[in-house]
Amino acid sequence: MSAMGKASVDSPDRDQVFAVVRDAVATVLERPPSSVTWDSDFAELQADSLALVEVAEIVEERLAPYAPEGFHIPDEELEQLRTVGEAVTLALARL
Amino acid sequence: MTASSVRVALDLLGGDGAPDVVVDGALVAAREPGVEVILVGPPDLAADLLKARGAAGALEVEPATESVDMAEDPVRAVRAKRDATVRVAARLVRDGRADAAVSAGSTGAFVVASVFTLGRLPGVTRPAIAVTVPATHGPVVLLDAGANVECGADLLGQFALAGAAYAVTRLGRPEPRVGLLSNGTEPGKGDALRQEASALLAQLPLSYAGYVESSAVTTGDVVDVVVADGFTGNVLLKGLEGMQALARETLVRALDDPDDAVSALEPLGADRLGGALLLGVPGTIVIGHGSSGPEAIAACVRLAAESVRERVVPRVAEAMAALVARRRAEAGLAGATQE
Repeated sequence: MSAMGKASVDSPDRDQVFAVVRDAVATVLERPPSSVTWDSDFAELQADSLALVEVAEIVEERLAPYAPEGFHIPDEELEQLRTVGEAVTLALARL
Repeated sequence: MTASSVRVALDLLGGDGAPDVVVDGALVAAREPGVEVILVGPPDLAADLLKARGAAGALEVEPATESVDMAEDPVRAVRAKRDATVRVAARLVRDGRADAAVSAGSTGAFVVASVFTLGRLPGVTRPAIAVTVPATHGPVVLLDAGANVECGADLLGQFALAGAAYAVTRLGRPEPRVGLLSNGTEPGKGDALRQEASALLAQLPLSYAGYVESSAVTTGDVVDVVVADGFTGNVLLKGLEGMQALARETLVRALDDPDDAVSALEPLGADRLGGALLLGVPGTIVIGHGSSGPEAIAACVRLAAESVRERVVPRVAEAMAALVARRRAEAGLAGATQE
């Protein structure tokens, strides 16, 4: 789990969601979290489609406590993502 | 249950003969000392099947309501089905409630569910399916047998390290010889991928024997580990299964009493070769053949339990650390911490 505990149900802010996405990207792509920025481009990070799905899986699980009705990023929208910032924006919109 | 028991989560809904064949296999496997089987599937269904066999309450059951059909796209199906048996089985491993997971259902779905749930070992881009083929001069590990259709040279290098670590534990070969599957053994053979991969393998901490032909998988006297991309490895494996079926049929037609000869071919059968380990994930995952019968299901559970006891996953992790160190050195990060 990230620093956000399961007990909290307050909506996470942009920085918190960014931290979740950044850590997920770092984990999947085996990069230092500090190298993943808001503007990081998934193509430049060499994240293929399956890696993006892995990132989505982690993000969905870690943000699930904030979405009682369920939190899912549709594959169609996932395929359109180009940057980490876009992923954060999409996650916030879906929460 | 004993303190040293290995707990194996078994997909109740996976395989052509599921759920009946799975339950039959589970009961066979559970008779072995030190093995506990957890059926993963609909509780009512599991209870009915166990009761019908006079084994009510004999096995633990973990609820899971969905299954992934063989025809479904693995990624989309696993993403959409949070309560799929393959996901729940992998989750049990991740959460420490099981030591290993087994499924004879959709291979792609189980691989995807395992990666999504468990992640990958450091240094592993994609896990590989490792099959142990009972060759003439001793078993040979073949990988990748189908997890990755498209591979680069680095991925083949990962397979080589993982396969060698597996051969050390599984085959008891202290310095397993590793070969790269190609269309000939001469150095000039192979396409661009094979040539690049061969150069890489020669630099890794392996006993690399160069190119091998597909016959190396069945003779067992050339190398202990055969590395292939998942497309080629799967084609080869299916070819071996097909040859076994052809040999069996030929014997049945040619001999008046073919029983002994046919039974001698059984270890090469599709349901025997199908018990494969997924190497590269931080958990013990065994993939059974879709056509598995009860004995083959039990054999998969046995393979899972033995792999846990032999600490296959930690040994593969150690081997992959060599690749991570190499990458970091190439990137000028030698000695640096990751952060």
